Amino acid sequence: MIKKVVVLLSIIGLIAIFMPMITQFQERENLNELATDYVNGSIHELGTPNVVTSVIVTYRGLDTLGEVTVLFLATVGVGFLLKGKSEDKIEISASELLETTSSVLVAMIMVLGIYIFTHGHLTPGGGFQGGVVIASGFLLMLLSNVNAKMNHSIMHFVESLSGFAYVGIGVTGLVLTVGFLSPKILPLGNFGDLFSAGAIPVIYSLVGLKVGSELTSILVTMGGEK
Amino acid sequence: MISTLILGIALLIIGFYAMLTQKNLIKIVIGFSIADTGTHIIIVSLGYLRGKTAPIIDNAVNAVNAVQEVVDPIPSALVLTAIVIGLAVTAVMLSFIVEMYKKNKSLSIDDYQELKW
Amino acid sequence: MVSPIYILIMSLAVGFLLSIIDRAGRKISLTAFYGVLTFNVVLMANWLYRFVFLHVPTLVINTAGFKAPISINLELGLMEAFVLFFANLSGLLAAVYLFKKFKETQVSSLILYLLLIMGANGLVMTQDLFNMFVFLEILSISTFALTVLKKSRETLSAGFKYMIAGGVASTFFLLGVVFVYYFTGSLNLGNLSAGSFTNVGLVSVFLLSIAVFIELKPFPANGWALDVYQSVDSGIVSIIAVVNSAAIGFVFYKIMPLLPSEFLTVFGIAGIVTFLFSNMMGLKQDNAKRLLGYSSIGQMGLLLAALIFTANVQPSVRYLVIGGLFLNHLISKAGLFWLAGIVKQDKIKDWGILRSRKPLLVLFGLFIFALSGLPPFAGFWAKWEFVKVLVDAKMFFVLTSVLVGSLFELIFLFRWFTSVVKNTDETNEQLASPGKSKATPVIVFGLMAVISSFGIMRFFYEFNWIQVLPIFAVLAISLIDSLPSKVKGFLSLAAVAGYGYYIYPLLENNLQMFFGVIFIIGSAINIIATLNRKNQSRGFYGFLLMMIFSFGNLLIASTYLEFFLAWEFMTISSFLLILRGQKAQRASLLYLIFSTAGAYLIMVGFSFAPALSSSGGALINVIELVNLPLVSIIVLAIGFMIKSGSAGVHIWLPEAHAEAESDVSPFISAILLKAGVFGLLMLGISYISFTPSFDVFYWIGWVGVITALIGAFMASFQEDAKKLLAYSSMSQVGYVVAALAMITHLGWVSALYLAFNHMMFKSALFIAIAGVYYRTRTRKMYEMGGLIAKMPLSYITVLMSIIAVSGVPPLSGFGAKWLIYTAFITKGWYLQAGVLFFASGVSFLYLYRLIHTIFLGQLKYEHQDIKEAPVWFIIPQYIFMAGIMAISMFPNLIIKPLNVIAMKYFDSSIQIDGLTVISELGHWNGNLVMYVTMAVFAIPFILLLVLKGKTQKVKQFNIVYAAERPESPQTTHVAHNMYAHFRKALGKWTLPRVQLFWDSVAEWSHTLGGFFRRVYTGNGQTYILHIVVYIVVMYVVMGVK
Repeated sequence: MIKKVVVLLSIIGLIAIFMPMITQFQERENLNELATDYVNGSIHELGTPNVVTSVIVTYRGLDTLGEVTVLFLATVGVGFLLKGKSEDKIEISASELLETTSSVLVAMIMVLGIYIFTHGHLTPGGGFQGGVVIASGFLLMLLSNVNAKMNHSIMHFVESLSGFAYVGIGVTGLVLTVGFLSPKILPLGNFGDLFSAGAIPVIYSLVGLKVGSELTSILVTMGGEK
Repeated sequence: MISTLILGIALLIIGFYAMLTQKNLIKIVIGFSIADTGTHIIIVSLGYLRGKTAPIIDNAVNAVNAVQEVVDPIPSALVLTAIVIGLAVTAVMLSFIVEMYKKNKSLSIDDYQELKW
Repeated sequence: MVSPIYILIMSLAVGFLLSIIDRAGRKISLTAFYGVLTFNVVLMANWLYRFVFLHVPTLVINTAGFKAPISINLELGLMEAFVLFFANLSGLLAAVYLFKKFKETQVSSLILYLLLIMGANGLVMTQDLFNMFVFLEILSISTFALTVLKKSRETLSAGFKYMIAGGVASTFFLLGVVFVYYFTGSLNLGNLSAGSFTNVGLVSVFLLSIAVFIELKPFPANGWALDVYQSVDSGIVSIIAVVNSAAIGFVFYKIMPLLPSEFLTVFGIAGIVTFLFSNMMGLKQDNAKRLLGYSSIGQMGLLLAALIFTANVQPSVRYLVIGGLFLNHLISKAGLFWLAGIVKQDKIKDWGILRSRKPLLVLFGLFIFALSGLPPFAGFWAKWEFVKVLVDAKMFFVLTSVLVGSLFELIFLFRWFTSVVKNTDETNEQLASPGKSKATPVIVFGLMAVISSFGIMRFFYEFNWIQVLPIFAVLAISLIDSLPSKVKGFLSLAAVAGYGYYIYPLLENNLQMFFGVIFIIGSAINIIATLNRKNQSRGFYGFLLMMIFSFGNLLIASTYLEFFLAWEFMTISSFLLILRGQKAQRASLLYLIFSTAGAYLIMVGFSFAPALSSSGGALINVIELVNLPLVSIIVLAIGFMIKSGSAGVHIWLPEAHAEAESDVSPFISAILLKAGVFGLLMLGISYISFTPSFDVFYWIGWVGVITALIGAFMASFQEDAKKLLAYSSMSQVGYVVAALAMITHLGWVSALYLAFNHMMFKSALFIAIAGVYYRTRTRKMYEMGGLIAKMPLSYITVLMSIIAVSGVPPLSGFGAKWLIYTAFITKGWYLQAGVLFFASGVSFLYLYRLIHTIFLGQLKYEHQDIKEAPVWFIIPQYIFMAGIMAISMFPNLIIKPLNVIAMKYFDSSIQIDGLTVISELGHWNGNLVMYVTMAVFAIPFILLLVLKGKTQKVKQFNIVYAAERPESPQTTHVAHNMYAHFRKALGKWTLPRVQLFWDSVAEWSHTLGGFFRRVYTGNGQTYILHIVVYIVVMYVVMGVK
């Protein structure tokens, strides 16, 4: 009873904390200085139509590297926690219809995923979105075919090497003295082309591969497969 | 946008309420996820500028006066990172629960209080 | 120079590849893993060196080829390098500690660990708020996963609670970050300041700061942390307690400039509250790792408070306080957690097993001492400076909490330490060898503790080598500890002589010289008694020398700090000496607690004192120019009176004296108590020139009088010979204090005279009793009797000494009493004189008991074959006897110099005419008194010899109650409960009220600790509730609008 009251009071307290945010909320009219710099910089300096991408991959590239690391850690952590085989294996095979359609769908989903991360600098997409789409393809595979075997080694290699390559690109920037994680190690190209915006598409593709393989391996581990 | 801001805060509070009242471990994590989602919505709504569009230069947005036409790109970038991190945390939390269940066959948070004082 | 960003790069590159590398064999992956960790340490060591010695400017690292705030930047300055060097070093050493685990478990643990350390590095260096969030999550997730390195029900549930708490905190942090962005348009710390936030904007910094604060485990929203500390593998816990806390603590430091000062004050107080309560709750804890958890949480609270409350002081002091606390916590906490992993005992009482591995025991002691903030370790200096800062800022609530909390911490740490050293109820289990990988980190940190102490002394203070000599004495003796104890004894004697020779020219003032005689020569003579030691006595002479040198250093200390340092060294060494006694666990702990409380008061007193204007000579000489404020005098006086065993704070005294080894007791009673007197005298000197409105010394005088009376009564009711002497010491020092408090010429002459006299006869008595104990193996007086026949030489010492104590002619005590009563009467303190006179009467009771029950009466059956005490006991006794005889025959030997000493401060009130001392009230010729008394003695003695009749021998204990033989016949003897009738007459007055009072204080604090820790129900959900409520309460308290 006392606890209920305390819970209620604390919830009311939380509401009170956020209340001024709502009552005194003023919608902003214009971009602030920093955002303006980003929009201009993205267009003129980085040649990237998608401003959000240039913020993610370049201006706040360190965040993204960290973000990839967090996901990597989650993969490793989940694997570390759920080591050991699950006891009850279900030996049912999927129907042929399900298997066939899902494999067609999986292929299409993969292509979509790859499209999304390679066009991250042009369209509202990117490495994370693409990676998640790829992982959803694998999820479909796992769900439709309970006995599907994922090749862990390949997944590990993709995961590790794409991460390593990401860091490598960052260091290349240092070596070429344009700065850690700078996309200027590659030519900017034509604004709006697929091969443009310096190293941004390359980085985003690596992120896509990494996110895709990491999420897949989380799914696989959680599914109890070893 | 004030409506999404209110929505976000409401989700946040609902999430916390769930975390404080639900006994089931998985429901607590769901509560956490709801609160997390609320946070993400708050982030996005703070970056919104009235009547403006996504910060992507294409047919709809002219490169020359893009600054006047787009919403703030920074919260959009931040929220992406926040979502991924939220997902990572949730994944680890859930695997903890899986292991806890394997060890003790209980999903009630009240059954895990042997360490105290 | 290699940029520190390579720490991130290397860790990530290797971290990503590690699972592939591991396929080639664990050896290779381990090499890469330790390679990166070592690289981090070396890199940071280099940067730290450059910042400290080459004064290079703060390094700013931009990323993505843009300058901040466009891109994220990292910064590495002195503070960052300092924190990161030690964090990385702890990371490397903890990894070494975990070597075996890492060799066996999955490669995942290596990856998690590597990235955990990287996360800490990034967190400290980054200047971008959102990037901080990312690194915080890297740090958190890897930590969460590693909590189950040892998978069990406990670690899983602790880890889950940790995750939920961490998740809630990071949600708030994230909200704070985006709101900060919304209100200011920036995420870079360089662009933000407290001024950026007004009105509703304050909510954003509130969310940001409260989230970081929650991560730092404030009381009571920290139950989750305790569970983690208790259950998780020691290697990982050391990282959580040290590296994570350091990195997150540093985040708080970085966002401090964004916070308005009202927020900071609240946070500072919350930190202090955490410190106080954690340590209070620690009192009830019996699980070693959870205890360390309480201590860790407390230390973080203290560190935060120090960060906040030293914001406005000069940088060097701030660095010392924060750096000192940080380093101290880091080294000792990691060391203790590692030891916990080696000992593998949950319960504190089972740690006695550590005794089977002496080097580990020494390291354990080292860490406990360091953690308690005792010198020479870093925490001591930090505390000293911090107290000064708090006093200057008049933050008395914080000050009190810091000191009380520290005392609680010291109590539970030393209860642990003494139980490890002394605990007797253990099987002869041997501690398994920890193995190289586990031992190395502990040893390295042990060395670090020592090196950092000397580093601080070298860089922040200008100490003469003599000030640290006490430490070197311990080290030097430990090197030759394998020699036989006699050799060490003679060497120590030589060392004391050498020390005396060295400081002799430094004693410019007669007063110093006088105490020099008591401290140095008195000690030297007492050392002779220790030559009787047969066993190795490892460590004994080291601590003995440390104590004697600290006595001497008190005399020549030229600053408050030097004085206090010597004082603390004296406390530590005497504590360790007392601890050597067989059943001395409780006694030594009690001594240490009271001494430390006293030391804290002295520290506060010195902090209130005005700065010394000139550095001309010893403190005792320049103190007369110092106008001590009233509060300073009061707390200093209480501090010194604790050491001199004044009534009310005396309960440590009888136990410590009784339980110490019998050749240690004379040092404590005859010499150590005089250190308190020396301190009071110092206050008196300042008091003469600057008398405050409130007459403090009048009340000190009363305390002295009451001490004399209570001590005498208590002594009379003791069965234990050493306790009797202990209470007698208390009583005698009470006289000294009372006389000193008169602040008159005659008062001081008599006080010093009495002090000197007491030094001699009490040394002699304790050594005589040591001899008796050595032969009879008992301290209970009713178990002795008739020893006069067996130990005549000891008997003579005791007889002479008690004559000297009691103040009957002809011996020196008479002179003392004469002087003292004269002084009281001339001062006009008639009532005090009356009470003292009564106390003198009471002292006859115990003195008679002492000599009667031990030496007179009939010899006990089991003592038939006893011999005289060993020669090493007899020699010092007779040296002291010779001294007593000399000043009894020729009192002017001592009165004259004392007259001169006191004349420096007062006009002389006595004249010395040949052998006669003339005061206002009369005159005293010691020489004449001696002859008269000798004649008075001689006549009945001869008569008795002539008239000696036949004596009839009666069998002892031939008492039979109605044909029933009493269980223990000794208790029917008159010697047992000798003054029962007096006790009855006094009725309630003899209740040990003071003892009862302190017992109830102890019980109350334990009960309170037990009550508060009930908030930690163990339920994860309740912990979330704590956090949410804490946030709401802080919001209300801070008045965010």
